[in-house]
Amino acid sequence: MIEFNHVSKTYKGVKALDDVSFAVGPGSVTGFLGPNGAGKSTALRILLGLSRATSGSATVLGRPYGELDRPAARVGALLDADAQHPGRTGREVLTLAATVLGLPGTRVEEVLDLVGLTGRESRRTVGGYSLGMRQRLGIAQALLGDPEVLVLDEPANGLDPQGIRWLRGLIRDLAASGRAVLLSSHLLHEVEQVADHIVMIGRGRVLAQGTAAELGRDRGLEETFIELTTHADRGAA
Amino acid sequence: MSGTGGTSRTERVLAPIPFRRLLVVETRKLADTRSGKIMIAVLAALVLAGVVGRGFVTDPKLQTLAFTAGMPIATLMPVLAILAVTGEWSHRTALTTFTLEPRRGRVLVAKYVPAVTAALAASLLAALVAVPATAAVAAVRGVPAIWEMNPLALLGWTGTNVLMVAMGLALGTLLLNAPAAIVVYLVNPMLWSVVGRLGDTGETLAGWLDLNATVAPLVTGDMTGGGAARLAVSAVLWIVVPMAAGAVRVARKEVG
Repeated sequence: MIEFNHVSKTYKGVKALDDVSFAVGPGSVTGFLGPNGAGKSTALRILLGLSRATSGSATVLGRPYGELDRPAARVGALLDADAQHPGRTGREVLTLAATVLGLPGTRVEEVLDLVGLTGRESRRTVGGYSLGMRQRLGIAQALLGDPEVLVLDEPANGLDPQGIRWLRGLIRDLAASGRAVLLSSHLLHEVEQVADHIVMIGRGRVLAQGTAAELGRDRGLEETFIELTTHADRGAA
Repeated sequence: MSGTGGTSRTERVLAPIPFRRLLVVETRKLADTRSGKIMIAVLAALVLAGVVGRGFVTDPKLQTLAFTAGMPIATLMPVLAILAVTGEWSHRTALTTFTLEPRRGRVLVAKYVPAVTAALAASLLAALVAVPATAAVAAVRGVPAIWEMNPLALLGWTGTNVLMVAMGLALGTLLLNAPAAIVVYLVNPMLWSVVGRLGDTGETLAGWLDLNATVAPLVTGDMTGGGAARLAVSAVLWIVVPMAAGAVRVARKEVG
């Protein structure tokens, strides 16, 4: 449902992505794992049409994101929980998105419930939210249109332990109901607990991909991850 | 079915987003933040304060009071227009906005329409506020009210407000940065008054390129053919060119 085909991106003379290829199928969670600055966010922005690939292509549901009609109703995205106007209430953020998507106000209540933001919290301005609350708001926004595909960039950042457990359950539920989930994270632990498939990325290149069992067969998953990303750093330095 | 709630599944008709919805949302964004609400409250307070203050010192003349009420509108509406366009970049909400509607040109137009409509509505409102103010001043001072109003002047003044808002939108779109656009907008008239004093060439330049000066005949109602040409040239320079260049910039910009 998501496909990266030889995506490269050069930004100001630096190769941010180098020949990235991988696919995410329905009913599965793909962990997009790599250290900070590895190119995960760049890849996701290219997927969502916010940034252009220098070469190669990224498609979702068989087409470039920008060519889908009402794409946000089919592809839910949390890209950056901090990218909110601090003077707008959480409820207003969701109401604006629901209006664009043509969804009723009751759907806003549903997703608020779903992510555990109370009515009172939703009427406060986002500037007063903790990072965890902003993440929950971003997840609520991603789920608004009940999408078939979810793209979540570091959704666990700032969540407390209960929140992380809740998020894990939510992601599993989403995949169990047939949705495709692309979950990016720099934390191995977070990814290996929910991902069916892991794509390791470092310095803009896909270093390895497969199931957690496949990737960890020789040296264990953590060793593999550290080894690969360290090697990628040295290789590029 | 998981806990994601499935009510919207029934609504999954794959049609493009109607432009009307973008308009509703972008109009709402003008006033749904704390700063937006404060701006509008300040605007309303200045309009009232201006009318009341002027009422003490002037004759109860509708046209005078209407233009007084309109002064804060003419000054602050372009700033509001600049913030409407640049806010998406300063707060990085463009990430959400362009994910919801990837056709960025439609979003820009949906931002322009309510800003221009607000300029029209505010101008009309200023004229309306002036009516009871004129009556009140006449009653308090015990002199007859002067209700005459040159409709062409009112129209020209409204047109001026719209052009200034359009300039704000154009600068905002080109610079995508609120402080920069506001400074350019506010410094512009000062700069031209300096240029206008730099001999004949400077005067000619300012006469053709200073939008703040070329709109003047609209309000005074003595627009000539030459005046119209000057207005057109300055409007192209300060509205059409930056808006077009800005639209290209927005279309190509990496959103991050």
